[in-house]
Parts: sequence; C-alpha cells; structure tokens
Amino acid sequence: MSKFQDNGNSSTGTVSQLTEHLFRREAGKIISVLTGFFGIERLHLAEEIAQEALVRALQTWPWYGIPDNPAAWITQTAKNLALDLLRREKLFRDKQSEIAVSVEQWSTDSVTEESPLFETEIREGPLRLMFACCHPLIPQESQSALALKTLCGFSAAEIARAFLTTEAAITKRLTRARQKIRELHIPFEIPSGWELSLRLDGVLQTLYLLFNEGYKASSGESLVREELCSEAIRLATLLAKHPVGNQPRTHALVALMFLNGARLPARVDAEGNILRLREQNRSLWNRAMINRGMLHLSQSAAGDEISEYHLQAGISACHCTAVDYSSTNWPQILSLYDRLVLIDDSPIVALNRAVALASVDGPEAGIKAIESIRNRQPLASYYLLYVVLAEFESQLDEFQGAANHLRQALQLTRVKSEQMALSKRLHECEEFL
Amino acid sequence: MESPISEYILLFRGTDWGKDLSPQEIQNVMGQFNHWMERLSQHGKLKVGQPLASKGKIISGKTTRTVADGPFAESKEAIGGYWLLKVENFDEAVKIAGECPLLNYGSSIEVRPVLEKCAHMQWFDEHPADGSALTYEQVSG
Repeated sequence: MSKFQDNGNSSTGTVSQLTEHLFRREAGKIISVLTGFFGIERLHLAEEIAQEALVRALQTWPWYGIPDNPAAWITQTAKNLALDLLRREKLFRDKQSEIAVSVEQWSTDSVTEESPLFETEIREGPLRLMFACCHPLIPQESQSALALKTLCGFSAAEIARAFLTTEAAITKRLTRARQKIRELHIPFEIPSGWELSLRLDGVLQTLYLLFNEGYKASSGESLVREELCSEAIRLATLLAKHPVGNQPRTHALVALMFLNGARLPARVDAEGNILRLREQNRSLWNRAMINRGMLHLSQSAAGDEISEYHLQAGISACHCTAVDYSSTNWPQILSLYDRLVLIDDSPIVALNRAVALASVDGPEAGIKAIESIRNRQPLASYYLLYVVLAEFESQLDEFQGAANHLRQALQLTRVKSEQMALSKRLHECEEFL
Repeated sequence: MESPISEYILLFRGTDWGKDLSPQEIQNVMGQFNHWMERLSQHGKLKVGQPLASKGKIISGKTTRTVADGPFAESKEAIGGYWLLKVENFDEAVKIAGECPLLNYGSSIEVRPVLEKCAHMQWFDEHPADGSALTYEQVSG
C-alpha cells in the first residue's frame, strides 16, 4: 500500500533526509562490484544496471516512502537486475553460470553481513577501477572523465559542465576510453611488484589534475567545480587508506588537496569577485580541512622521497598556518619553490616562485625573475603573468606600467569574475596617474 | 443545482523520463517530489496516491471478450501513477499539478475532475428544460 494508507509508519523519513550524494556513491559502488563480476570489458553494462537500479528507486520511493536501509535496497535491486540480465541474455557464453554464482553471493547488506568475499569486493573494487581508469594507455583527458563517470556517478552532462566542454565531447571521450579498455585488455586489478609504483603515479597524477580542474579560477558553474575537488579528495583519501596506496606521496597529495580546498570558501567575495590571498577573510578557511591536511602532511613525511606533492602541500601549509597575510613565512615558501622548480620546470611554477621571491627580496627582485622567464610558452599568453607584473609595479609606485599590464591581462582572460577583479584594480591604478 | 467539484484525479504520464538523469539528479528529483507530496498530504489536499505497475491487461470485444497484454501506450504516454486531490476548485488542482518537479524532466500530468454523478446525469441537472421529455430511467438505464 502507499504510504497514505500507512500513517502509522509515516516517520520512516523523507527523501530529503537521504545521505548527501547517496545515489552517486551507490552508483560507484555497484559499478565497481559488478565490473568485478562481469569483467572490465563489460564496464558499460555495469553502468547501465546501476543507472536502472536508481531509476527504479525513483519510481518507487516517492510513493511508498524510503526504505529503512536505502543503500541495501538499491544494491538488492541492482543484484536482481543483474540476475535477470544473466538469465535473459547470452552475453557471457561459457562464463554465464560462474558469474551468476558470484552475483548470487553478492551480499546486499554490507552493514550487517560479514561476507569476506564482499568485504574484499567493496574494499578492492573502487581501487581496481581507479587503476583501470587511470591506465597510462588511456588518453589523459579521458582518464578523469571515466573516473568521474564510473567511480563518482557523474553524468556526461555534469562532467561537461565541470570541464567547460560539450556533453557530446565527453560522451566521445568516455566511449573511446571504454574502447581502449576492451582493445588493450586493460586488467581490472590492483597492480603489484615493480608495476605498482609506476601505475600509482598515474593514478595520483589523474587525481591531482581532477582536483586542479575544480580548483582553477572559478569559471563555469562554481558548484559543480567544487564537487570535482571534493571527489578528488574522496578518491585520494580512499587510496591513502588502502595498504597499496598508503605511500608518503599519496598522503602528500591528500594533504595538498585538503590544504588548498580549505581556502576555497574565502576565495570570492559576496559579488563573486576573486580575492587575493591578502584580501581573504581567513576565518572563512575550513579549520577541519586544514587539520586533516596537516595530519596527512605529517604522514607524508616518511621514507626518503620528496615529491612535487610534498612541496606543494608544504607551500599550502605555510599559507594555512599563517594567522594573517603579514605573518606569512615567505622565506620558507621561497625555499620550497626553489626545490619545486628543480622537479617541475613549468613556467607557471617559476612565476609563482617569483611572487615568493618578491615577498622576500622586494618587487625589483620579482620583476627581474619574471624577465628571465616571460618568453617561455605558454607564459606569454598567460594573464596572471601580467597581473603579477602589475602587482610588483604598483608596489614600486610605477602605476603607468602597472595599468598597462593590467590592460594586457584583461584581454587574456574571459572569466567574468576575474575580469571584474582586474577592472577594479585597473581603476585603482588609474587613480594614481 | 450545481455542486462545486472538489475532487480531482492527477494522472502522471511518462514512465521513462528518469533514464537520462544522473544519480545526483535522480536523488534531487526524488527529494523534490517527496517534499511536494508530503506538504500536500499534510495540508489535507492529497487524499490518495499510488503508482501503477507498467504491465496490465486490456479487455475488449462486444460479443466475445478479448484479453490482451497492455497497456500499449508508448512509455511517454503511459500512466505511471495517480493522485486523488481534494481541493477548492479546478484552478487549484491545475496549479498543484503545475508544481510537479517531474514536469521539468519531460513528464506530463492530466487533471480530471471527479464527478459526483455520471456525465449524463450532470447534463440533465444543468439543462432541466431540454431534458424534460425524457425520464431518468431512460438515460441512466
């Protein structure tokens, strides 16, 4: 009966009380478990079953109320759908009965039942999927998209919004990635031995890019972009908890994500304008995230390796632990950048180092450092180069030069919130002329 | 003798509109739908609501009865469930139907007044002069 006839049980709860992102999480779990049963070459089938299970929930719950254990309901539905599919279609030929047995044993109530098989599937499934999605033979741009689709339950449209591209482009990337997995027989397993370290680097790199994509200046829909950051944090944390991923550089990556993510709420003002570090209200920084970041940073200080993640997390920690802008430990930040430029010769890193250098040795030193790198690609067309130069020049009261550089920067950015912030600064400069 | 109609049936059409939604969107829609439903039932406007199974039988035939599997309507047209509303008037029922979050995703809703008498009887009530030549027995027979 519908819940109208069953008023005695009306306290079962409303859908709005469902755990945040429950459906996304359950989709990810179901996909990784079913992929374990079906084989990675049938990833798409697992995705379809997860989707169908959620649609069934949508067609049922609003009328009858939410089941006591929503996650178990969804899993049970996915299990039934999988068994139906196995009975109906002859997709797996000789393996059919073998797979059916595995699906039958799939415990749908992970909370109460202690099935060792299922425990392993739950623990290992997402990691196997992570290693498969981030396989070096899959194009880099497809890796993040596939991870978001299969592990985080994002739709192609949501991924497209986050990456500022079209849904069709994302669908194409996803199709190509699945095709590569089939063609190249990419295994659904956690690599071991000599391969592990190499492949782990690939996974960390993809998660890092995923985080950066979300963290980049707020273009597009800020909500969905911040979700990229939190998904990257979730996956990296999952990796760090597992013995295989529990490496110093994984902890360094997690630390860097938490420490940067903690400052997101203070990055824009009420009108959506980007705020510089010195303008930010530090009380808006997320203390809990900073604490977790510092914890992972201490866990990363093991072994003898110092990765770029270590250095970036260290820089971020300097900012997070400074009570105000003026007490920032710039010499420490500069020394971290000095080491980072040795590992990463990107001109963007060099530009950031110039900012740290100017804070230690003054704006002239900063300008000098930039002169030596400004012709390197793609820096010449990078708007922040001109913003930084303008900043140094206004510190030296050279407002004409600063205004010129701000105008150049304005031509190079199309992000509205940045344009607004730059126009404001240009206006301030012009007042001194 | 016109009595105000106070009961309306809402027929929810479309059963496959959720197929292309992302898990997050499915959860959001479900939350919105549920919230809407709870609010109306708390205000006493929603009397009964039930989903319908997608499969059933269609019975037809003037002399011999034929039983076929149905409904055959396309999933876009198929009725996924119904509500029985108790409201002031048609406008209110239509207004409530317009609030349905499923509409944003391609579903549609049919609003039909529930009559207290059958349509023919109603017609006679409203047109007593025109119907004077006939008796009630003849029409309702």
